Amino acid sequence: MNECERIQESIGPWLDGELNSAECERVRTHVGSCPACLAAQQKIEKIDLALRSDLVAQAAKLEFAPFWRALERRISEPRPWYQEWRDRLVSAPRSAWAVPALIALLLAVWSFDSYFPGWRGGVAARSGFAAVDSIDAHGRSVALWRENETKTTVIWLYEEQEGEHETAEEAPKSGPAF
Amino acid sequence: MKRLKKHLSLALLFSLVSVAAAVRVAAADKDPQSVQVTIGTILVSNQSDEFDAKLKGMEKQLRVLKYRSYRLLKDESQNVPWRGNKSFEIPGGRSLTVAPQEFQNNRIALKVRLTERNKPLLDTTVTVPNKGNFLYLGGPPHEGGTLVLSISAAVQ
Repeated sequence: MNECERIQESIGPWLDGELNSAECERVRTHVGSCPACLAAQQKIEKIDLALRSDLVAQAAKLEFAPFWRALERRISEPRPWYQEWRDRLVSAPRSAWAVPALIALLLAVWSFDSYFPGWRGGVAARSGFAAVDSIDAHGRSVALWRENETKTTVIWLYEEQEGEHETAEEAPKSGPAF
Repeated sequence: MKRLKKHLSLALLFSLVSVAAAVRVAAADKDPQSVQVTIGTILVSNQSDEFDAKLKGMEKQLRVLKYRSYRLLKDESQNVPWRGNKSFEIPGGRSLTVAPQEFQNNRIALKVRLTERNKPLLDTTVTVPNKGNFLYLGGPPHEGGTLVLSISAAVQ
């Protein structure tokens, strides 16, 4: 690339005021002494002038007022609350989630029983057995029996016999062969 | 300050939602209005090899009693108000009174009293799974066999 080609590439930015003062001076000096580059400059200026006059003529026909009015209305109208919250949630830093995450964790631990009933209620609660908390057979013999396979819990009340008041630990007198 | 306010409002929102969810879950396990208690009266004996078709659903459980004959005499359901009680008539002049006590971890605690001509035979407190497995209470003699009462409960 020779000097003229480099200068001609810089003519556009020079005319648009995009070059620093040293570059401007270099282009100006070269264009003043080089007929080819001067012709290139004039050609660009001619195109620029033609485009500018055409755009100004077109712009005069455009109605900008309704566009600005609509834009101003959108800027000034209040935003719905859910959009405000959505923006807050999206733009919140990660550290902001620490507090609710901790609360959610604590509540999850607290609510564990509700989601997994019986997890600390002993073998009977965990396995779905019916459980017997207390028995008073009023002096009669009673047996309590659980069968694991069918998850069956049975209270068996033995028939009272004359003059006898055995406790549950003693051998039952009649009943099923558990 | 504005940033802090924003973070606080965010934390507050989530805290409220979490608390509301937890309270809802916790409330679901507290004090139902009533409990539907179902008492089945089954006559078991060794006099025949009959197995009542109506007892098919609990055959495996009943078979552990090792009797030969099983016949459903009565099947009664009653809505028992929470903290109240209801009596179920049992053949042979007996009565079974059931009172719901507690509902926790999807299990219902019931106070059960079996009486015979107003004389108490048995007082027990049992906990049965809500809509779950039965508890069997057996022993009272009846018509040459023995009565077995199946007890189940479901919160309403």
